[in-house]
Amino acid sequence: MVKGHIEMFKKSLLFQMIMVQFTIDKGDFEGFLRKVIEKYDLIGPVEGDKSKLRRKSLFRKIVSPDELFLEKKTYFPVKGYFFDPKETLFEFDGDKIIDPKIELKKKVFFGLRRCDLNGIMHQDMVFLDENEDPFYKARRDASFLIGLHCNEGDDYCFCNSVELKDFFDLMFYDKGKEYAVEVGTKKGEEFIKKFSGVFKKKDKIITEEDRKIRNKKKLDTLDIKDNYDDDSWKKGSDLCVGCGACTLLCPNCHCFTIEDEVNFDLKTGKRVRKPASCQLRHFTRVAGDHVFRNEKLARFKHRIYHQIQYFKDRHEEVFCTGCGRCIEGCPARIDWVKIINEMK
Amino acid sequence: MTTKEEIIKKSPYKPKLVEVIDYHRETNDTFTIKLGWKLKHEPGQFVFCSLPGIGEAPISICSHSDNYVELNIREVGNMTRFLSKIKKGDKLLVRGPYGRAYPMDKFKSHNMIIIGGGSGVAPLKGSVEYISNNRGDFGEVSLFFGFRTPEDVLFRKRLDVWKDEFSMYINFDRVEGKTIYGGKQGFVTERVKEVVGDNKDAIVFICGPPIMIEKVAEILIDKGFDEKQIYISAERLMYCGIGKCGRCMIHGKYTCLDGAVFRYDELKDYKDD
Repeated sequence: MVKGHIEMFKKSLLFQMIMVQFTIDKGDFEGFLRKVIEKYDLIGPVEGDKSKLRRKSLFRKIVSPDELFLEKKTYFPVKGYFFDPKETLFEFDGDKIIDPKIELKKKVFFGLRRCDLNGIMHQDMVFLDENEDPFYKARRDASFLIGLHCNEGDDYCFCNSVELKDFFDLMFYDKGKEYAVEVGTKKGEEFIKKFSGVFKKKDKIITEEDRKIRNKKKLDTLDIKDNYDDDSWKKGSDLCVGCGACTLLCPNCHCFTIEDEVNFDLKTGKRVRKPASCQLRHFTRVAGDHVFRNEKLARFKHRIYHQIQYFKDRHEEVFCTGCGRCIEGCPARIDWVKIINEMK
Repeated sequence: MTTKEEIIKKSPYKPKLVEVIDYHRETNDTFTIKLGWKLKHEPGQFVFCSLPGIGEAPISICSHSDNYVELNIREVGNMTRFLSKIKKGDKLLVRGPYGRAYPMDKFKSHNMIIIGGGSGVAPLKGSVEYISNNRGDFGEVSLFFGFRTPEDVLFRKRLDVWKDEFSMYINFDRVEGKTIYGGKQGFVTERVKEVVGDNKDAIVFICGPPIMIEKVAEILIDKGFDEKQIYISAERLMYCGIGKCGRCMIHGKYTCLDGAVFRYDELKDYKDD
């Protein structure tokens, strides 16, 4: 059953890679972005500002091209634009169900890194399987994904260790004076046609060298099947403060809670979906105060095994995208990659 | 493009109203409601009941009929306590069915051993009703049910019928005063050890507290049963029922999609996750 759906998914439009290549001159780049901003909502990475509330880089609506922060990947992932952190499933008045108000706007995303894009692909595999989630699908349908290739990873990335896939509508490669652009989908092809003045067709401009990403970090093995009872996991869980930052920052993590928010009349309200973190104790708490994963160790292992093994067993893809955001954002500086590398 | 109308139409989270056609107190903390809901379902599946403002809970179907759905509920949490106040004639919001059912077609002409403990008897009741409706398809059927005391016995009307139809063994943790249905004091595990022979062809269903499932499975395997003959139930906290929320995961398996019924060899290490 699961295998069939992966094949179907790979055949779907999102996966039909059309390997046509273009270039865009960096002089034309700003003008191109201005045209995009006129037509659509442009979402792109912006730098964190220590003097303001927003202290870390994140994806935000861009008003002017000079806001863009393209040096390295953002601190926060992009997932909130698709898997809404506060989705109203429906409203209610007593037993009466009222349809939710949904705002849909076409969005163009620029500056998504390979890890972000693979994160979106993994969430697609969860939310767009045979039990499709229409809330997620609507947001994905209304989005256009433009990637930006990293040549150099930061101190935390290890994406070469996790076999990332090509998944984008358009992918930009920095080639000094110009960007080389690779088209991934039909949607991407049509988009290029709209801006035909700035994109020049140029075959085979992207070399193998361009596709490489240099990582400082490496995860030695993806096979941790036999290490479940290893004592080394304690090195991580003993330090863990159980804050859930790792799951919040992960571009893949999609677990959620469904909650009813009641108004003061105790009759009307709405049912909302909110992200949940498997690192918090109440994640598996049931009536009678029984907690299935009561130990921090079990919760820590659950996250790593979901990232490396469980998702692969089901969907044939490694869940982890090797972005290292969970390591960068951890207040206890837990480096689970190092823990696995040191295991026998 | 998915439109707003499509989202609303396809939303898997939207429940629908059905009528409660019967309400029956089983014991002092459990009750059974019968819903006038023509739902095609198979033994072992479950539905979500929701009370707007309180929440939603997955409840296993404890009947097998195309015309109605029966749910047996124990008051243990916030949601079930509120649900116990429902009355005959009220409306209830439900969605379902979810979960992988017992593959009953595969078990034709096999002997069946059905072992339940406490409220774990409820989800098994559907499969016993299925067997009862298709009696000719199955061989010998033995039921092993365990309850805390004679006062905690569920589905008395059904047991009155089943005690003549099948071989039925009842056990109680505690017996003060008179016992019923020939129930003995002691755990189900002891009775299983005593009664079950090395039946190479029988299919076993177990549902109950995790410790009971573990011990019973151990005893059966000692008796020479294969892991593939044993079917167990495993439940976790769940919110969506369709493999999205990630809450019900046990070592990578979703209890909502891959369960709640598992073959024992698929999920042996369910206790520690």
